[in-house]
Amino acid sequence: MTARRKPTGKRKATSRVKSPRPLTKRFLGHALPGVRPSELTGRLIVIEGADGSGRSTQIRRLVDWLEASGHATTQVGLKRSNLASEELESAKNGNILNRTTMSLFYATDFADQLENIIIPSLRAGFIVLADRYIYTLMARDMVRGLDSDWVKSLYSIALKPDAVFYLKLPPEKLIQRNFMKNHTLDYWESGMDLGLSLDMFDSFVQYQQLMADKFDELRKAWGFTTIDADRSMSELNLELRSNVERVLA
Amino acid sequence: MKNKPEKTFAQLGYPGRLIAVEGIDGSGKSTQVYLLKRWLELQGLKVFFSEWNSSELVKSATRRGKEERLLTPTTFSLIHATDFADRYERQLVPLLKAGYIVLCDRYKFTAFARDTVRGCSPDWVRRIYSFAALPDLTFFFKAPLDVSLNRILQGRPQLKYHEAGMDLGLSSDLEESFKVFQGRLLKAYSAMKSEFGMVQINANQPIEKQQETVRQRLGNAIELAQFELDQPT
Repeated sequence: MTARRKPTGKRKATSRVKSPRPLTKRFLGHALPGVRPSELTGRLIVIEGADGSGRSTQIRRLVDWLEASGHATTQVGLKRSNLASEELESAKNGNILNRTTMSLFYATDFADQLENIIIPSLRAGFIVLADRYIYTLMARDMVRGLDSDWVKSLYSIALKPDAVFYLKLPPEKLIQRNFMKNHTLDYWESGMDLGLSLDMFDSFVQYQQLMADKFDELRKAWGFTTIDADRSMSELNLELRSNVERVLA
Repeated sequence: MKNKPEKTFAQLGYPGRLIAVEGIDGSGKSTQVYLLKRWLELQGLKVFFSEWNSSELVKSATRRGKEERLLTPTTFSLIHATDFADRYERQLVPLLKAGYIVLCDRYKFTAFARDTVRGCSPDWVRRIYSFAALPDLTFFFKAPLDVSLNRILQGRPQLKYHEAGMDLGLSSDLEESFKVFQGRLLKAYSAMKSEFGMVQINANQPIEKQQETVRQRLGNAIELAQFELDQPT
């Protein structure tokens, strides 16, 4: 299937399944030992955005829609590796993580999923949906003052995604959505380790602003698609679908 | 991307000094660094000893990764870097700021050698560890492979999977694999020796002879008297 088609608005129940044209991947910098990027013919689609931007809901809906359309999917996300998620969680609970250690711990967690889930899935022609990717990790590290060249080199082993959708929401709306969900602010999502303010609410607002600014910088440098997340979940999902359809063509 | 020139702790103005021992498994470096530590602490000096792969935060993940063979060259490298970073940020740097002599049984050169022999990009590995300053003095204990192998086997019945480099699929025979893998590490160390000004110790000599050389070289490199403990009198 190489013919270019315009995405149609409505979709009826049909047994026809479109096959995406094989797309090869490339590493951002250093290729991983033993991996041939030309074999990775699936799609890697990344959804980025702060907590409360609707990422998980959108991914869930995208998975339903993709599977209904006959595509096999895999999901990855931060702190979900077999290797490091448990230890990373308990280290975070102890609040004893310094910034370089935290950075490398997350990089370990990422690399484990990259090699054991993302790459094999892409090789098998799956659509991999990443609930955040290296960009959140890089933004967190940079906001904490780690050298940006160092951070980029660390993540140069990552595959370049076929698309990155950044769900953008202003910090004041993020706060409201966070409270709707938890009624409690998270220590790390509030950036309390940065010592911006002893007041958790102030710290959250300041930290999320720093992250949003850093993301804007990364967005420009890496060419993300920014999606306005300040609307209903259904509207947001329709826009994501039409963007994903383009990636699948 | 630029490569910043790396400095030692002395060059960075730290009051403390970091001494590293490097070498392949079974080279006898742990015995030597232990004796060095005893010598320094019995003189009443501020001394701290840190071992590779010993961070409480990370250790269990590394152990599980090794036991269940979950590790790839990349994650092997990253999890050891995490372990090192935790010790570096929480112990080594604060103690060096407090004027301690810090002895490290293995430092970043171990990662440079092991990870690149496992196939990671040398440039990638070196950049990761670029947050860590260079030691003020590094000893490289060099012993022939047979000697190292015998030393390990005298201490325990069998070689460990990773120290034999079994994950590289070099040979299905543990001892054979050990020799090939450790032989490559030995080469990697030798190549780094002059780049980082390591002091090579012939690890095939009697323990006492080696220890004498190590103590002399350390005494020449740093003024030991300035590291005395401030003991309440």
